[in-house]
Amino acid sequence: MADLLGVGVLFAAVAVAGVVAVRVDKSVIPLYIVVGMVLSPSVTDGIAVAGYAFPTIGGSEFVDIGAELGIVFLLFFLGLEFNLDRLVESRQRIGRAGLLDLGINFGAGLLLGFALFRDPLAAVLVAGIVYISSSAIITKSLIDLGWIANDEAEPMLGSLVFEDLFIAVYLTVAAALVTGGSDVGAAATSVGVALAFIVGLLLLARYGTPWFERALQTNSNEYKVLRAVGVTVLVAGVALAIGVSEAVAAFFVGMAFAPTSHVHDLENLLEPVRDTFAAVFFFWIGVETDPTLFPSVAGLVAAAVVVTTPTKILSGYLGGRAYDLGPRRSMRVGLGMVTRGEFSLIIAAVALTGAGVSLSTDLASAIYSFTVAYVLVMSVLGTMLMQYSEPFERFAVERFGTK
Amino acid sequence: MDVTESDLPGVGKKHEVDIGGGQQLVIVTHNTGTRELYLKASDDADSEKLVELSDRMARLVGTILEGAYFQPVQSDHVETMLAEGTLLEWFAVDPDSPLVGETVASADVGQRTGVTVVAIQRDGEVIPGPMPERTIEAGDTLVVVGDRGSCDDFERLLTGEQ
Repeated sequence: MADLLGVGVLFAAVAVAGVVAVRVDKSVIPLYIVVGMVLSPSVTDGIAVAGYAFPTIGGSEFVDIGAELGIVFLLFFLGLEFNLDRLVESRQRIGRAGLLDLGINFGAGLLLGFALFRDPLAAVLVAGIVYISSSAIITKSLIDLGWIANDEAEPMLGSLVFEDLFIAVYLTVAAALVTGGSDVGAAATSVGVALAFIVGLLLLARYGTPWFERALQTNSNEYKVLRAVGVTVLVAGVALAIGVSEAVAAFFVGMAFAPTSHVHDLENLLEPVRDTFAAVFFFWIGVETDPTLFPSVAGLVAAAVVVTTPTKILSGYLGGRAYDLGPRRSMRVGLGMVTRGEFSLIIAAVALTGAGVSLSTDLASAIYSFTVAYVLVMSVLGTMLMQYSEPFERFAVERFGTK
Repeated sequence: MDVTESDLPGVGKKHEVDIGGGQQLVIVTHNTGTRELYLKASDDADSEKLVELSDRMARLVGTILEGAYFQPVQSDHVETMLAEGTLLEWFAVDPDSPLVGETVASADVGQRTGVTVVAIQRDGEVIPGPMPERTIEAGDTLVVVGDRGSCDDFERLLTGEQ
């Protein structure tokens, strides 16, 4: 049962995770996940504090819905900050760096996924999981390290924009494939419905700007927040109800708000909302994780880390070169892109919905545990590579010169 | 003067100002309003963070840098860009200016030059939106709004070059 005490423990626990993250100067996302794992029912059941049973947090409806909202707001923000015109403007460089990134990492992910799980759908999911870098963690590291003012920030943020656009389309297809079952006809239908819905949203985003502009026309922050949340969550809910990815729907709603004059207000007003529910999402990821499965996926995770760290460094390096950066800064781009995070986890959550439908229950939970462990490793490894980039930069300069 | 603007998706905007000697001042404006100032000693160097300012503080510092807050030089030419092509300019009225003794109405600068006098600074005080019958005195600073051509015309009128 979701009681207030349980929710209180949840928020207190993620708040403590934030304090620890500041203290050790590391990204908070892996800590949220670990906190979720520690407070999952399998651990806390049977624990009593002064005669009172420890409140059950995991598996409660609040956490499930809160996590869903976290996904919706993460993607909504992605859409909000996504500027199609700007992408088109610098399409040549972003396109080149982005396609290198996609070709190398998604390609390697497909091969790796098939080698590890021997299942085509699993291969598609793993490809997405290892391809998509973490916008949240990478952007924060860029700011923390001061790289944001350097030339390497542009190819990194540019590649992230490309990845975000790709992942919106990818999630549509992946969600439809996963819930469509093994019947090819049914899968094709659900992909069709999903794509039709997305096209509808795209048209809305493209031509609905005046309506979205008027919809938020109010001097009250209260009404503004409520209207934006109302539209976003309603559309996401409709999407989910007809079997389309709610994350993608939220992305396009965000995109529809992006050209309006309210975009800065929305960013300021909704950022705390997003961060609150995103924390619940990462917590939920931890709760759903069965740590006893980690040993069985350890080999797979190790293989994935060994393969996909160099591929990201390579694609990032080439992407940096495509932006006319020297070897030293290109190496930084590569190191920075290694971090995987929230979007890999969203794909893992999609995989979980396929348990017993298109994936066997064992396979779905294996992919899920694999992803959580993989993200825990990569989020820490990626930020460390950025913090201690000097030996790699020296190597790049020695190997490839300074030009 | 060379200013490069670029977008930082999800963060805000970056402006790089060439300040000479190969040095660049890099200003990162976050979507939250926070400004970060960096100095890039050379083209290849890493940016070194100088200071981080809140939106409010950045505006205050901005007005000081601009000279609108305090002007060390008795300049008769301080300008601010209000919008594309529209300037807000400050002009000192010299004792030998033909406008001394005229009222705002009789000087008729609107018709003659296209600018609007939006305020008069006199003895450390500001008279905003001066009435047409207000007299222009030597030592005043006139604050005018107009496009670049109108402001140039006004300057010629003020100094009696016409």
